[in-house]
Amino acid sequence: MIFDRPTSIELIAAVIDFLNSEIKEELPPHLVFKLRIVTNVLQIVQREIDLGENLSKEAEELIKEVIESTQEPSLVELANSIKEGNTELDKESLKNALIEITKSKISVDNPRYSTFKKLVE
Amino acid sequence: MSEDLSFHLSNGLSELGIGGSIENLEPLTGGASKEIWKFNLVNSDVSSKMIFRRGSGTESSLAIQTADEAKIQEEVLKEGGPVPEIVLVSNSDNDLGDSYVMKFIEGETIARKILRDERYKPALPLLAHQCGEAIAKIHNTPLANLQFLPKKSPIQLIEDLYKLYESYQQPSPVFEYAYRWLKQQNYGDFKESLVHGDFRLGNILVNEHGLTGIIDWELAHIGNPIQDLGWMCGNSWRFGNYKMVVGGFGEIEDLIQGYNGVSEEKISAELIKTWQVFGTFRWGVICLMQAYAHINGSVNSIEKAAIGRRVSETEIDIVDLLFLGGN
Repeated sequence: MIFDRPTSIELIAAVIDFLNSEIKEELPPHLVFKLRIVTNVLQIVQREIDLGENLSKEAEELIKEVIESTQEPSLVELANSIKEGNTELDKESLKNALIEITKSKISVDNPRYSTFKKLVE
Repeated sequence: MSEDLSFHLSNGLSELGIGGSIENLEPLTGGASKEIWKFNLVNSDVSSKMIFRRGSGTESSLAIQTADEAKIQEEVLKEGGPVPEIVLVSNSDNDLGDSYVMKFIEGETIARKILRDERYKPALPLLAHQCGEAIAKIHNTPLANLQFLPKKSPIQLIEDLYKLYESYQQPSPVFEYAYRWLKQQNYGDFKESLVHGDFRLGNILVNEHGLTGIIDWELAHIGNPIQDLGWMCGNSWRFGNYKMVVGGFGEIEDLIQGYNGVSEEKISAELIKTWQVFGTFRWGVICLMQAYAHINGSVNSIEKAAIGRRVSETEIDIVDLLFLGGN
């Protein structure tokens, strides 16, 4: 990266701090609720920048274990393989890939989600 | 606008021989595609609280006509189900539009209040059993006067849902898996029943004694009854209380016991679980639908954008149900 600090994650953190410390108290209740959605969205972006590349690479490895012949492992290819019946539903590597990829997605989208918390505890 | 509405309500009611003046007409927050108003109908000294509900004509393709919701409520009421009594039904050719007036039933709809406020603490242990009874009454409702409703077999529901998912061209391996899995399941030999289609906290009224009313019938249809039970047991409708399988407040045994006390159909936790997978997939596709309304530019909304990243909540719930012993 050729860019200076603050990093993108630090910039988003500054925006979140500003919204919470200076904007929130100025807002009527229905907009406070919306502001919470806004800061949640910004946190998703932070986590995706932070973890996204590694998680996507891990997912590619998991997909290769399901579809051994694949050149470009992707969610689209995995979805198509299930759709077209090329992968049996009881294949262990498929179940494992679905479990781990889904955990990766939710760890970025909403790590406080009840089922994710239950599964990682 | 409220003066116009007041005038048309007054006219509509007096055509039915119901006199009185419309007072304190005010809008309530409803679903995105419905208007909901509350008012008092005052006759000399007697004041009755009423609710007016009107469709906008822009409902999702899944929804039925608003006036048809009233016809369903009338039938469910005859079966002893806790639903508001209907006072007036109008259709889109009339001044009032596609709408109806019903008597007000006291109760809270907001899930987080019901689950967290001190006031509703005594109701929570009773609620799963009461919901089981109420759902069974819906399913016992005779269908003779409800033939206008769409009929959907389990397989048709699964295919419709899959088509909707496919239309967004955002492939999900988990949804593809769920689709194939759902097609392989046995749905039992149940009689065709009236299905509410969206029975959960948010669409029921609750006071400190428990369930007082069932509202929001726009997803009603005729089909396999167990889907109503599976829907409300999905983790999407537990509001964070994931250990309480029924709606975030109750145990599945209590729901089944309440249901079996009213209905002759024999149901099992296993069948409910199959419909839980369906319901979770369904909520995932609804999230997708809302997110794509934003992405495609038909609405510009931070809420709808954010909901796109809730699809993965339904994926993890499906994975948990199918592979990890989740309930």
